Amino acid sequence: MLKKIFSYKNPQNLIVLMNILALVLLFLYKDQYDRLILISGVLLMFIIYISNFILLKTSSGDHYIFLIMGMLVSIGIIMIYRINSTIGFKQIVWFGISMIAYFLAYMIVKKGKGWQRWTRYYAAGSLILFLLTLVFGTKIKGATNWIRIGNHSFQPAEMIKLVFVFFLASYYVNKDRLLNKYVFLGIVYAHMAFLFVQRDLGTAMLFFLVFMTIFYIYEEDRKLIYYNLLGAGVTAFFSFLAVNHVRIRVETWIDPWRFIDNKGYQITQSLFAIGTGGFFGTGVGLGHPEFIPEVHTDFIFSAICEEMGIFGGIAVIMLFLILVYRGFKIALNQQNQFFRIVALGITAMLGFQAFIIMGGVMKLIPLTGVTLPFVSYGGSSLLSSFAALGILQVASEEIESEQEEEHEHRIQEDH
Amino acid sequence: MFNILSLVFRYLFIVIIYLFIFGIIRLIYLDIKSIGGSSIQEDTYLKLINRKDTLPFKVKEVYPLSANVVIGRKNENDIVIKDPYISNQHAQISLDEEAYFLEDLESANGTYLNGERIMDAVKLKNGDRIKIGQIEFLFVAND
Repeated sequence: MLKKIFSYKNPQNLIVLMNILALVLLFLYKDQYDRLILISGVLLMFIIYISNFILLKTSSGDHYIFLIMGMLVSIGIIMIYRINSTIGFKQIVWFGISMIAYFLAYMIVKKGKGWQRWTRYYAAGSLILFLLTLVFGTKIKGATNWIRIGNHSFQPAEMIKLVFVFFLASYYVNKDRLLNKYVFLGIVYAHMAFLFVQRDLGTAMLFFLVFMTIFYIYEEDRKLIYYNLLGAGVTAFFSFLAVNHVRIRVETWIDPWRFIDNKGYQITQSLFAIGTGGFFGTGVGLGHPEFIPEVHTDFIFSAICEEMGIFGGIAVIMLFLILVYRGFKIALNQQNQFFRIVALGITAMLGFQAFIIMGGVMKLIPLTGVTLPFVSYGGSSLLSSFAALGILQVASEEIESEQEEEHEHRIQEDH
Repeated sequence: MFNILSLVFRYLFIVIIYLFIFGIIRLIYLDIKSIGGSSIQEDTYLKLINRKDTLPFKVKEVYPLSANVVIGRKNENDIVIKDPYISNQHAQISLDEEAYFLEDLESANGTYLNGERIMDAVKLKNGDRIKIGQIEFLFVAND
């Protein structure tokens, strides 16, 4: 009986099993017998299970991406709770809010019409948000990319990410909406310039990679692509020479051990943590991930590697790989051009974001601070990742309402 | 106490995560496998209406029809579908004087044509929906 319920044929039950085990473990952690953990654990399982159930009933689209996300969120919350229980509880509350955002994004994008027509509004909207960030922004952790309202602060860049994907998609559906392609390129690079000014290098890199992916696939002027790549390379080189902030990142990437007592401290601690873990990890609660500064946001992957071992780390990477694979499959199956590009853009965004931060903490590429989607602590990040997933869910369904005619039509085309 | 538990649980966590990944990959594999070789030459075929990834068993997107085809759960049938709601020998589609006829082979859950349960052999025309167990097919005949 038990074997049947918790078999690999029912992946959603495995998530529940994982959470129950973590609940037992964290309840005994440090002999606290904390009531909060019981409430939050049950809440977490409830949200995941109910949401999955609603989704199965309402959406005819892809059902894997939600499950994969559920597993990633569970791993993330277990680790965050173990590092700091107050933050862990906050993360569960954020997860609940994000779930609402997910269904809202799903409903709005599905019911809304004419998303592909608003190219100019997307561009205007994101540039205004950037300007607001510059004027009202507060500096937190070295980057001026937060807006503070009352007690809450949020990152507008997280919202702009989605608007940016919509902007790219709507441009490639109908290029006549902007004057010519140089205006388009100007708007795209304005995004990156703003991020660079805010010293948010990771997000700037992310925007560039997402842009390049879509640009590479849909641009007819092939030469322009190489000019852009060349230009980006030259800009990167000169910013390395001229901008101190960039040079520090590259120096600590090439040799962090020389700066172990100051600017290389974070990355070396992260490497120590990954090394300590070994194959199976130290066990949840038995390692010392708290030695790494910012472990609950950017460096959550090192904490997972330390306490769940390299196998746990590989599992997280594999989960992202499957997610990206599903995203590409959704994009390939989608007939509507706009949603096809949106699906591609969102997939590229989640995939590259995961790559940038996981590569960063492993010292594979220079470290830049972005969050690990679905796993890291952070309200804005979680909200935007979930909204993105909701839109991906819409893209996995057939968009046209004349489904029957579409169906017949495609059969004819097959011949 | 906590330490021992944690040391044991670390293996459990990894086993669960990998089982989960295996489960997802298995579902995706079933999904991909059913796409393969779907090039259609035949004029008459059955096309699946359900989305393949919602079904936990192997089923192809397109089944070409020959003179006489039996659908069922047993391996001897021409079209084998391992749906628990399908009987061993469920239904038969046969060619008779240039027309295809659908016939129920006394299955437990019945065969439905355009939403109505069939009692006797029925002549099929292009665009008919055939429901067997959880699966729904579109009958396509191009002359």
